[in-house]
Amino acid sequence: MSPLARIVATPQGIVFLVAVLFALVLGFLNPAFFTPSTLLDLARNGLVTGIFALSVMLVLASGGIDVSHTAIGAFAMYATMKIVLGIDMDLPIIAYFAVAAIIGAGLGLINGVLIGGLGLNTLIVTLGTLSFFRGALLTFLGTTYITSVPREVIDFSRTILIRIENGVGQMVSLPASFLVLVAITIALSIVMNFTMFGRKVYAIGGSEEAAQRIGIRIKRVKVLIYVIAGAIAGLAGMTHVTLSRMANPFDLVGMELNVIAAVVLGGARITGGHGTVLGTLLGVFVITMINTTLLMAGVPSYWQKFVIGCLIILGTGLPIVFDRLAKYRRRMARPLNA
Amino acid sequence: MVSKLGKLTAGVALGAALFLGAGAITQAQDAKHTIVTVVKLSGIAWFNRMADGVEQYAADTGHDATQVGPASADAALQVQMIEDLIARKVDAITVVPNSPEALEPVLGKALDAGIKVIGHEASSLDNITYDVEAFDNAAYGRHLMEALAQAMGGEGEYAVFVGHLTAKTHNEWVDAAIAYQKEKYPDMTLVTDKLESNEQQQTAYQKTKELLRTYPNLKGIQGSAGEDVVGAALAAEEAGLDGKIKIVGTSLVSVAGPYLETGAIEMISFWDPAKAGIAMNKVASMAIEGKDVTDGMDLGVEGYNAVKLDGKVLYGQAWVDVTTQNMGDYDF
Repeated sequence: MSPLARIVATPQGIVFLVAVLFALVLGFLNPAFFTPSTLLDLARNGLVTGIFALSVMLVLASGGIDVSHTAIGAFAMYATMKIVLGIDMDLPIIAYFAVAAIIGAGLGLINGVLIGGLGLNTLIVTLGTLSFFRGALLTFLGTTYITSVPREVIDFSRTILIRIENGVGQMVSLPASFLVLVAITIALSIVMNFTMFGRKVYAIGGSEEAAQRIGIRIKRVKVLIYVIAGAIAGLAGMTHVTLSRMANPFDLVGMELNVIAAVVLGGARITGGHGTVLGTLLGVFVITMINTTLLMAGVPSYWQKFVIGCLIILGTGLPIVFDRLAKYRRRMARPLNA
Repeated sequence: MVSKLGKLTAGVALGAALFLGAGAITQAQDAKHTIVTVVKLSGIAWFNRMADGVEQYAADTGHDATQVGPASADAALQVQMIEDLIARKVDAITVVPNSPEALEPVLGKALDAGIKVIGHEASSLDNITYDVEAFDNAAYGRHLMEALAQAMGGEGEYAVFVGHLTAKTHNEWVDAAIAYQKEKYPDMTLVTDKLESNEQQQTAYQKTKELLRTYPNLKGIQGSAGEDVVGAALAAEEAGLDGKIKIVGTSLVSVAGPYLETGAIEMISFWDPAKAGIAMNKVASMAIEGKDVTDGMDLGVEGYNAVKLDGKVLYGQAWVDVTTQNMGDYDF
C-alpha cells in the first residue's frame, strides 16, 4: 500500500486531504490566506464549536446523538452569569468555569436519566430537552442581554496567548480561552484511550448487546456519558461569554447541526463505536475554515450556505464511499477457494 | 376569619363603587377616553419605557390611558387580552402585535364593536383605524447612511450587515442606504454583498474579521440587527482598529453601551418606545373624537411633527441617534 493510499484509507486522512485541498483553492483565490494570522483566526473562531464537538463526539461514540448540547451551553452560560452577578462577590475566573460545568452536568444528568435510566431514544430525548432547556432559560431566567459582565471575565477575555500583526497591519490574537479547549482535549483523550470508561463507551457504541453480555453496566455508563457531555457543553457556554464579553440568552442554539457536521466530518459515525478526539478537532477545523473563509474567496452571501452544504455532503460521503471501495477490493482480491 | 371576610366584602363593595363611579364619569364627560395599550410582552425594558410614555400621556391629558401585556410574547395571550377589552367596552385599543395575522380576527371584532384600533410595528394590519410607525424604512436607511458617510468623510470602502437575508425591514433599510450612497457619495464603495449576521454577535464578529482581512482598506460598516454593530466593534477593537473603522447601525444602549463608550461604535440609532406610546395614544384620541389625521400633520410629539400618511399608516421621523455624549439618557 502506498503512503497516500494508507492516508486515504482512514476517515481522518480524507478530512485532512479535503482541508488541504480547500486551503489550496482558497490560497489560489486570495494569497492573503496563507499567513499565520489565518491559522490564529481559525483557532479562535472554531473554539466554541470545538468544545461542543468534543462533547458530541463522546455521545456519538457511544451510539447516541445529542442535539441539546447548545441549549445546555446557553443555559449554563446565562445561569452562571446570573448567579455570579446575584451574589456580587469577586471570584477567580476558574470558579466561573466550574459553576458553568456543574450546571451543564446537572442538565446532562436529565438527559442521562431519560436515555440511560429509562432507555428512551437519544434523538427524541435530546430534541425534547433542547426545547425544554431553552424554554426554561428564556422563561425563568430572562431574555435580556447581560452586557455588564464582571471584571474578571473582561480581564480574562483580554488575556492573550499569542498576538501577531498580519500583512496589512491588523492585530490578530489568540485569547486565553483557547486553553479551555486544550485542557478538555487532553482530558478527553486520556479518558477515551486509557481508561476503562473510554473502552466501555466504544463497546456500547459498537454493540450494546455484546457490551451487556461482557458485563458492562450500560445504564450507569450512559448516565455518566451524558453528565460529562453536559459538563463540557457548560464549559463551551462559559467560553462563549469570554469571547463575546456579553451573555445573550438567544446565542448558541442554532449551531448544533454545524457541530454535529464537524464531528461526523471528523470520522465519528452516527451508528456509534467510532470517533476520536484528534479526528473531531480536524473536522471542526475544516467546518470553521469553510464557514469563515468563503467571504475571502469572494463567494456571495446567498451562495455560502449552498457551498457549505455541498462540502459537508462531500466530506461526510467520501469516507463512506472509500470505505466501501476498500472492502470491495479486498473481497475481489481474495482467492476464490478461500 | 369573620373580620377577614368582612374586610374582603368591604373591599369588593368599595371596588365596585369605584368602578361604577368611573363608569358614570365616563358617561358624564365625553372628553375622558379609556385607551388601553396592548404590548407584545410586559416586564422588559423596551415596553417598560413605552409604559412610561403611556403614563405620561395619561398625566398630561387626564385621559384614562393604561398599558397591559402578556407575561410571554405570545399572540394567543394578546388575543385573550383584546377580547377582555372588547367586553369592557374601552374607547380605543392600541396594540403592538406579536403576530399581526393572528390578531386580525379579534381586531376586526373590536372595530365592529365601535372601538378604535391603533397599531404599531404592524403596517400590514387590515383591521385597524390607523397604524403608527416610528419611521419610513427607506428614510431611516438613508439617515443611517448619511451618518456613516459623515463619519467616513464621504469616501472609502464600506460593508453592510443584515440580521437575515430574508428580514424584510433590514433589507429595506440597507437597500435604501446603498441607493442613497450611490447617488450622493460616489466616492464611497460597497465592497461586497449584504452580509448576514444571523442576529448573532459572534457571527458578526467573525464576518467582520474576514472583511478586514479581505479588504484592508475598509473604513466603514453599517449594521442592521442590534448585535451587528457590537460584533463588528469587537472585531475592530481586537484588530487594533477601533475608531479607525467607523461603525454605525441600529442597536440599543443596553446592548452597544460598552463599545459606544470606548468609541469603537460611532453612533447607534433606534426609536424611543415612550414617544411611540404617546403618539399612538394621541392618534387614538383623535380617532375617538372623530378628527381626521392628515398627511403632514403635527402630532405634537418629538419625531412625529410632520407625519406622512400612506393609506392608514402614519410614518414619523422618530429615530433617535445615540453617541457617547447622550448614551446616559437611555436605560434600555
